[in-house]
Amino acid sequence: MISDDELAERLRDGDEKALRTAYERHGAAVLYLAQRLLSSLADAEDVTQLTFVAAWAGRDTFDPRRGTLLGWLLGIARRKAIDRIRSTARDERVTQTVRAQLVTPDEAELPERIVDRLVVADELGRLPAEQRRTLELAFFDDLTHPQIAAVTGLPLGTVKSHIRRGLANLRRRWEVDGATSGSRSAGPSRTL
Amino acid sequence: MQHLDPDRLVLLALSEETESPLDFDHLAECAVCRHELYALRTVADLGTESQDLRDLPPPPERIWQSIEVGIGQAPVPAVPERRSRPRPRWLLPVLAAAAAAVLAVAGTVVVDRLAHRAPPERVTARATLSPLPSVPAAAGGSVRVLAAGEMRVDVRNLPLTTGFHEVWLIDPDDLTKMVAVGNLSDKPDVVLTVPPGIDLNRYRLVDISDEPHDGDAAHSGRSLLRGTLTY
Repeated sequence: MISDDELAERLRDGDEKALRTAYERHGAAVLYLAQRLLSSLADAEDVTQLTFVAAWAGRDTFDPRRGTLLGWLLGIARRKAIDRIRSTARDERVTQTVRAQLVTPDEAELPERIVDRLVVADELGRLPAEQRRTLELAFFDDLTHPQIAAVTGLPLGTVKSHIRRGLANLRRRWEVDGATSGSRSAGPSRTL
Repeated sequence: MQHLDPDRLVLLALSEETESPLDFDHLAECAVCRHELYALRTVADLGTESQDLRDLPPPPERIWQSIEVGIGQAPVPAVPERRSRPRPRWLLPVLAAAAAAVLAVAGTVVVDRLAHRAPPERVTARATLSPLPSVPAAAGGSVRVLAAGEMRVDVRNLPLTTGFHEVWLIDPDDLTKMVAVGNLSDKPDVVLTVPPGIDLNRYRLVDISDEPHDGDAAHSGRSLLRGTLTY
């Protein structure tokens, strides 16, 4: 499997196969975002199509120093979905806000939050296996450090450092690719 | 000032331990640790919420097909059968046979009514027309949309027809949406007029079809050449 960096380079060189690979790798996340933001599946598929077509047309503008390919694609998809929501609103001559148009009011959440979650999920999948495993036990099974040590057979100190480093990795990725306005805040940062 | 221990921050972020009065006092006055805790807590929450995202289903192939159409680099699916009045099943092979019988190579048809007009023309969009799989590979052409709202169509080696060749603008995102622009008759020097108000960003797929003289204005479903307008 080629790296995302290499993939991005091939894409910028105009290699159509790279777009296909990007679709296989990140199409699911783009479609998920669109589905969460739009009530119609047809609209969500449309936005997914528009996102990859726009990515192809604008491949020269992708700058790997400013974020990953996934972060870039999700940024395009978010804008396309919001455009679609606005034009639907115009068509229907309603003046609801973008937020009010989100799928179901009780589940309404900001597009940025969904993007952030997709980015963190992607990074979690890229962590070294033991780091990922300990974090999954902490996140999904709500286990404490000692419980994780007991389940995995790893020394407590190792569990601690896996979780600390794993969280630091997720955080770094979130700060690079996340959409939440606060995530890139100028707050001071310490190395974990 | 002694900052909170990184491991302590992790435990607080994961809500594995709660803030002691000492932690609380420190956080109240230390923006650095407050920011750290906020960031870690957000990331931990996002991580916890990401459980459902681990195994997203692969995106459907039909979206990829429409992406290929959108980037104009692949043969697009055939135009759906006409909807207004379905052609009898037996007629299709008959027409195909008729078309094959007269299959020959036509000379270049330059449709340009305004050739004598003063140059220079300003081209706002263009497309290269490529033959569909059922059409001889030598067929092809190009389209130039001129600033004046006219469209110059240049085709070569089209299969001869017992009917006529019609030019369409199709929405590649919805292949049932199309506009007939005019036909490529034997008349030399014809430039077609783009229907006023039509959005060429949407109707960007140019299609040349073989139309029988059957009095039916809908697309015959027999596309010969296609190309996507670019700017």
